[in-house]
Amino acid sequence: MSTKEEKKHEQHQAKPEIDELTNDQLLEGHEFDGIRELDNQLPPWLKYLFYASIVFAASYLTLVFVFEDDRVIQAKEYQKEMAAYTEEEEAAEEEEQAAPVARTQEEIMASGEETFSKICSVCHGKFGEGLVGPNFTDEYWIHGGSREDMHEVIVNGVIEKGMISYKNLLSERQIQDVITYIKSLQGTNPPNQKEPQGEKYDPESEEETPS
Amino acid sequence: MELQKFTYDNRITRDFTVATIVWGVVGMLVGLLVALQIFIPEMNFSLEYTTFGRTRPVHTNAVIFAFVGNAIFTAVYYSMPRLLKTSMYSKLLGKIHFWGWQLIIVAAAVTLLAGYTSGKEYAELEWPLDIAITLIWVIFGINIFGTILQRRVSHIYVAIWFYIATWVTVAVLHIVNSIEIPYSLMKSYPVYAGIQDALVQWWYGHNAVAFFLTTPFLGLMYYFVPKAANRPIYSYKLSIVHFWSLIFIYIWAGPHHLLYSSLPDWLQALGTTFSIMLIAPSWGGMINGLLTLRGAWDKVRRDPVLKMFVVGITAYGMATFEGPMLSLKTVNAISHFTDWTVGHVHIGALGWNGMLTFGMLYWLVPRIYNTKLYSVKLANAHFWISTLAIIFYAVPLYIGGITQALMWKEFTPEGYLAYPNFLETVTQLIPMYATRAFGGFLYVVGMFMLVFNVVKTAKQGKLVAVEEVEAPALHAQSAVKTKSESWHGFLERKPIRFLIFATIAILIGGIFEIIPTYLINSNVPIISSVQPYTPLELQGRDIYVREGCYNCHSQMIRPFRSETERYGEYSKAGEFIYDHPFQFGSKRTGPDLAREGVKTGRLYKPNAWHYNHFIDPQKMNEGSIMPKYPWLAEKDINLKSTAPKIRAMKKLGVPYPDNYEHKANDDLLKQAEEIAQNLRESGIETESTKEIIALIAYMQRLGTDIMKPQVEEEEE
Repeated sequence: MSTKEEKKHEQHQAKPEIDELTNDQLLEGHEFDGIRELDNQLPPWLKYLFYASIVFAASYLTLVFVFEDDRVIQAKEYQKEMAAYTEEEEAAEEEEQAAPVARTQEEIMASGEETFSKICSVCHGKFGEGLVGPNFTDEYWIHGGSREDMHEVIVNGVIEKGMISYKNLLSERQIQDVITYIKSLQGTNPPNQKEPQGEKYDPESEEETPS
Repeated sequence: MELQKFTYDNRITRDFTVATIVWGVVGMLVGLLVALQIFIPEMNFSLEYTTFGRTRPVHTNAVIFAFVGNAIFTAVYYSMPRLLKTSMYSKLLGKIHFWGWQLIIVAAAVTLLAGYTSGKEYAELEWPLDIAITLIWVIFGINIFGTILQRRVSHIYVAIWFYIATWVTVAVLHIVNSIEIPYSLMKSYPVYAGIQDALVQWWYGHNAVAFFLTTPFLGLMYYFVPKAANRPIYSYKLSIVHFWSLIFIYIWAGPHHLLYSSLPDWLQALGTTFSIMLIAPSWGGMINGLLTLRGAWDKVRRDPVLKMFVVGITAYGMATFEGPMLSLKTVNAISHFTDWTVGHVHIGALGWNGMLTFGMLYWLVPRIYNTKLYSVKLANAHFWISTLAIIFYAVPLYIGGITQALMWKEFTPEGYLAYPNFLETVTQLIPMYATRAFGGFLYVVGMFMLVFNVVKTAKQGKLVAVEEVEAPALHAQSAVKTKSESWHGFLERKPIRFLIFATIAILIGGIFEIIPTYLINSNVPIISSVQPYTPLELQGRDIYVREGCYNCHSQMIRPFRSETERYGEYSKAGEFIYDHPFQFGSKRTGPDLAREGVKTGRLYKPNAWHYNHFIDPQKMNEGSIMPKYPWLAEKDINLKSTAPKIRAMKKLGVPYPDNYEHKANDDLLKQAEEIAQNLRESGIETESTKEIIALIAYMQRLGTDIMKPQVEEEEE
């Protein structure tokens, strides 16, 4: 600022009204009910974030609209997930068949109890005393009390009565384990038992088939 | 320069302030109630009017439209005259606006509790109220634009840009989403069905968040933050960029509420990408708010108003980062239908909307009562308790949401669902729900501190009902852009042009997304075996809507192995073409019901099970958190409504045979008798005309059409 004239000129051109606390320039004429505005630029990182998000969006949409058939993306993803699972499942099954894992009676009972408390107890009571579903602790069975009968009911369900099929929800081993567990409930005599339903079943007639 | 005298009317500001506080208390108390009901079902006091399905919409509507709504109006009626140096355009319109809005709120609460709902989230109000809202909104609009046009400042400030965008977008959203065909004095069916209804609804729902909870509050922030801090706005340029980018991009993001649903993939992709592009525009607002406080941080330490603003704006920044992350399909696959979403929205609601409103009230009330705040200490305490409340509220829901999602998705090594019983994934959450309710309780306590403080402040001061002010008249301006003027500067002194530009910006996204779903058939592939509901099922469906079942149960199975193993075949767009309204739901507090009726399915239950379960869910599932619905077995189906319902459905294009409305009740009674007979065989004595029968019929229909053989020509 050498001459007075130049200074005047600059004042007019650059509107050098400065906010004292931040040293940023205030915008001339921008005053609304006492609110002023500063002439700051956008923070560069915010600008680049915005550009990056646009690049992301453009690439994403290009992928979807150009390189994929946008009507079947989800369906394909699902097929892939299911296919991967089927392979995995087959491999596991083969492994299991090749070398069946020997388990103790405690392990079988623990596994059976777990399934029972998760699934069966909802309708058959916490202790198998019966709720909506029949009592498991008495000697009376609606659809037969042998392991085979119980297996049949669990696998196919009794849909009219609300017992769904657990074919795809429980593994064969889980089903066998829970049958073992249910069998163990015989005669435990818990409180609040449901009245006997079905026919009396004599376990003597059954040849035990351990799992 | 001659000074003109005019006045600011503080009475209308005071009225809206009182309404904000009253509805805030009510909305938050109802919120606390629903937070308790979700894990203690007995908290409905065995009344049908106060079951969760009805109280939850009361909570959401009350806090959004009553609490936040009145806070917006408080801000607008206070800041606008001051920013424009004029009185509000019309005192009378202001009064009509005020009382009209309050009446709508009261009517909303009463009708929602009575079971009149459109079944669309955050747009539950029925057609007479939809019309009333439209009228009041128009009155509000006239008052805003009347004020803008009589202003004494040449340019409109950024707060007013946001008010303008809010007004026009809310009008468009509300009207388009509420197009419905009434079949009775209080009930209607939306004209859209299934996927299209879902798209319109979430275009609305998402942008209700954007243009009712966000843009007006950005306007509020742009006025009250610089005023309270006495600091200039950080960057005018940033205001321009983030305003236009925000309103343009926001409108596209609605489909992110329907990721992995049967919404066409291209729409989902737009939902995801536009949500990601929203981060920077949203953060623009946060930065302009926070950096305005540069040079005033010492004040922030002392002043509860500024503290609240800082936490509010920070919450906004967190929520607007989290939102886009939740819009990524991989994240959404976990978060959707869980409490994570609920936690997310409450960061916005409790943090951004709540804190900003509290800060505004603590600043504003002493000013219009010409006094000092009664107790700064108490306001500080309110600040801390609210901040703590937000943490107690949100953290358990994040943990709970992720926990539940992981449990839903977990498989045993043998390839079976680890938690096949849905209830197990629910009971796991109960401690989280309890902690969340405690967080809500703290927030309510804070609200009562505010009530006390504000009442005391008002009592120690005196309302300055009319503020006399003067300002120079506005000189005639150049009608065209002058040389020295920037393009945007010119726009700022042309408010009508500004409105038109904003309208164009917000229309583009909606037009681009909604119209093709109608015009291009491939968006909803036809499934020929999908048939209209029988009259009994239709009645049952309306009961499902009335009871707000969608608040806890979804009807949308996503294409994941974990869902198809649990629920059955994933949902297809063509299955919902007769669903007026759609009932996809947004939260699974209970299991999905999309395939409930499929006999070979995982979830099939006999009629007797449903009957017992509706009357007493805990008898069937110990630990269930569903409320009991014994009145469904006592109330009769409204047979008179069958014919008008069928007629309305036919108008909407549902292919019932000619004159079917006259025969519909015969079919209804026949089907009902079959179900009642089946129940009697299971030892349940009931009359066939009870509502529970209709609801069972609907349950047994759900998801079954797709399992039927396709119509012949399709099979050949």
